Amino acid sequence: MNGQKPPEGRRTDAEAEELSCEESLALMYEFLDGELPAERNETVRRHLQICRRCYPHFDFERIFLDYLHEAGSAPQANPDLERRIRSLIAEESA
Amino acid sequence: MGIAVVARGNGRQRTIEDRRKEFEAEALPHLDALFGLALRLTGGDEPRSEDLVQDAMLKAWRSWDRFESGTNCRAWLMTILRNGFINLYRREMSRPVKVEFEEIAEGHGSGSLYEADPEGRVFDRLVNDKVLRAIEELPDEFRIPVVLADVEGMRYQEVAETMGIPVGTVKSRLFRGRKRLQESLHRFAVEQGYLP
Repeated sequence: MNGQKPPEGRRTDAEAEELSCEESLALMYEFLDGELPAERNETVRRHLQICRRCYPHFDFERIFLDYLHEAGSAPQANPDLERRIRSLIAEESA
Repeated sequence: MGIAVVARGNGRQRTIEDRRKEFEAEALPHLDALFGLALRLTGGDEPRSEDLVQDAMLKAWRSWDRFESGTNCRAWLMTILRNGFINLYRREMSRPVKVEFEEIAEGHGSGSLYEADPEGRVFDRLVNDKVLRAIEELPDEFRIPVVLADVEGMRYQEVAETMGIPVGTVKSRLFRGRKRLQESLHRFAVEQGYLP
């Protein structure tokens, strides 16, 4: 699926190979999520050091993912819920 | 009402009353966090979320003896709630999901929000309830992996195991879910006048 298959005829040696922008973008989320194997991760990192086109995409997505993570903070539960749970537990322990 | 006495690790004898107090002190403070997770998972369904929290708390209480004091109570409770939700979800979702074949055809780059605001400044301005609403509006098959991976910080493999789907499917659903969220946030930002 995304990023799993390189275009025909490319990439036979993961270590030596340079990524195209298309390939680096295909690996973007796996890279940002820390899900790439070390060598692959390094190849993307090297690409980002030299590619001014890809870098802002990665930067943007990183900001977005941090935002998502922080925004997940908890709303308040209804106080009735806590009361209900307390009394159920009290019932069970009686 | 007999006074049940329970032995724990160090052999100290504790009454059920001690245990209940301990449970209330250690577990109940995480109620809001559990409720938040339940809301994210159910897509903002409050009654269902309350049921999930209540079930999780009762399950936790019944296995309180197996919980090791001093370990991460919040994580333990979250796991109980998540498992409860996933069991229900799997039961409801035993029919196949249609997204599998609308694979990622639109390329890999970032979408329209990136084009409009490449530095992501708008994220500082959009208040949390916008993203929460955007998450709630995602269909289950995208919302659940996004909540598990992005809000809860699970690895792809854990999401796959939790949901009973292949890792490749987790990746593609995360991709689509995140893109949809960005589209909704873009729309909100335009409505609020933060972006043209």
